[in-house]
Amino acid sequence: MKSFVQLAILMLVSLLPALGAAEDSYTFDLSETEKKPYHFGGYVEFKPVLFGLDHDAAFYKLRFSQDPKGQTLSELNGKVQLEGSYTGDKYLLFAKTNTDLKHSYAGDTERTAFFEAYGSLKPSSSLKIDLGKKTMKWGKGYAWNPVAFVDRPKDPDEPELAQEGFIVATADYIKSLEGPLKTFSFTPLLLPVYEHVNDDFGNVDKLNLAGRFYFLLYDTDIDLLFLTGGSRPDRYGVDFSRNITTNFEIHGEYAYTRNSRKRVLDANGAIRQVEANSSSYLLGLRYLTSFDLTMIAEYYYNGAGFSGEEMENFFSSVDRAANVFQTTGNDAALNNVRQLTEGGYGRPNPMQDYLYLRLSQKEPFGILYFTPAVTGIMNLQDRSFSLTPELAYTGITNWDLRLRTGFLVGGHHTEFGEKQNDYRVELRIGYYF
Amino acid sequence: MFKIIMMLLSMLIALPGYALDGTALLKQVDRNLSPESYESYRKLINIEPDGRKKEFTLFTVKKGVDKVASLFLAPASEKGRSTLRLGENMWFYIPNVGKPIRITSLQSVVGGVFNNADILQLDYAEEYNVEKVEEKGNEYLLYLKAKTKTVAYDRLKIWADKGKMLPTKIECLTEATMLIKTLYFKDVKDFGGGIVRPAVIETDSPLYKGFKSVMLFAGIKKRTFKDEVFTLTYMPNLESLR
Repeated sequence: MKSFVQLAILMLVSLLPALGAAEDSYTFDLSETEKKPYHFGGYVEFKPVLFGLDHDAAFYKLRFSQDPKGQTLSELNGKVQLEGSYTGDKYLLFAKTNTDLKHSYAGDTERTAFFEAYGSLKPSSSLKIDLGKKTMKWGKGYAWNPVAFVDRPKDPDEPELAQEGFIVATADYIKSLEGPLKTFSFTPLLLPVYEHVNDDFGNVDKLNLAGRFYFLLYDTDIDLLFLTGGSRPDRYGVDFSRNITTNFEIHGEYAYTRNSRKRVLDANGAIRQVEANSSSYLLGLRYLTSFDLTMIAEYYYNGAGFSGEEMENFFSSVDRAANVFQTTGNDAALNNVRQLTEGGYGRPNPMQDYLYLRLSQKEPFGILYFTPAVTGIMNLQDRSFSLTPELAYTGITNWDLRLRTGFLVGGHHTEFGEKQNDYRVELRIGYYF
Repeated sequence: MFKIIMMLLSMLIALPGYALDGTALLKQVDRNLSPESYESYRKLINIEPDGRKKEFTLFTVKKGVDKVASLFLAPASEKGRSTLRLGENMWFYIPNVGKPIRITSLQSVVGGVFNNADILQLDYAEEYNVEKVEEKGNEYLLYLKAKTKTVAYDRLKIWADKGKMLPTKIECLTEATMLIKTLYFKDVKDFGGGIVRPAVIETDSPLYKGFKSVMLFAGIKKRTFKDEVFTLTYMPNLESLR
């Protein structure tokens, strides 16, 4: 809790010069743009959240059967991100740390990690070599990226959040050309996985090779991508993005994974491993209307996701395990099923067919920097969905304010119907420095 | 006799076109505003009706007729973001998001009256044909029509000072000649290297009543770049050009 008090004081102190600056008249002198070899900056965030719990839901039972809660649950979240860099003529050193703070029913937790820490060599404008911890962010999709072979999965609920990278050796070779092919670039990447080095990526004692070929061909971005090496099943992909008109963009991704593996529950509650080739793809668009409403729509098919029957088996197992605990006090079955959530059932959007829609209205009623938006994610297999309205305001320099609610709607044994919460209300106050 | 009269008549018809070559005038305006390849430092200021301001500082590089990129230097919330334009293709890079996303010319990465096409401006002659030129006292009035449907504004009316051959005012219009915004060019300043141009561009719009956006130039100079600078892969590295 002390950390949150310190965070609040830091943010309040930071607000004072931002408000004062509004009174100054505008001037611009070149000295304001003077480049220094070093840079230091950061971001602090305070986010209180209120959850409305669904006591009949499978994920509530999994988490709280042994420690029941009331109708609502509140928590305080904080985030501190610090970044620094040092730039020379032909090189760059960069580091970014992330600290997550949480005060909840379970007590106070803190987790600090380097999100990125790498050195770059730039022998020419055509070549760059990076070594260290880095995020790659491959793919064109907004909510999902089936071709992001060397990134951690992003949360479709917060797709723009900074993520933690992996330790890699990578390079970018760029070539500009005349004619229909305007740009070509190649990004090879080595990703070692050993004990204490990227060991959460997959099988250890492997040196993985990945790569991306990029083409700007006939005004269309096209990437060809691959990953091989044994830590994860080999996979290949392609993506594209193109502007159709001044206000209309389309994009897509396709990934093919050989011998994709997943752990599933059968109807009797027995766990088995399934291995099969799988395809995943995404098609999306971004459209801006004449009245400044931006629409992002994406369809995502996840071939490695769970079928309706596999998900039904999981929910039934949770029900059985919870019943056993209620009647006998034996929580062994509950603990066994809980382990499966880490293996896939508990990740965001674990099934196969999804639709994403985000509508955001820029500056309605002449309110500058104010953006109301609503985001919907629908599971097309079981017709359950989440609906997230939000109000965002960025009118105070370096401050980011967002009020957001989320409603999860779905029937018995559906993805969103069996989530731990029925609704969520959160306020995010962020400050950049 | 008939041949002589016809010749005189045809000369009279041809004379205004010869005297006022709109395309040549527009190209001269373009070159006086900036060299074909350059670097510049700009500040964009959005001013709300109550006087509150929000400022953005940008480092911009341009090469040839269709390549331009900008890097946000301030405020801290925008630092490191960059935009790239290759002809009609535009991208926006946010360090947190970590990859360039395609944007469209009518969107605005800064909010306010300036949109992406204003911030990543190409030569006017690259995107527009001159339909007509009129003389209005000390100014030319050029009527421009977009060459393609992908240009942000279908029509422009440019008032250009006859002596300096620099714009003083530009009206941006839709195909139905509805006014979208007006740009006012002010404070002509010598930036060195033979570049003498307005240091201030103000804009207002009937769509944003009471709001005003201002673009200030603090430095602009000729500079050449390799083509590879204007690529998606290079967007996170624009800072190294400063």
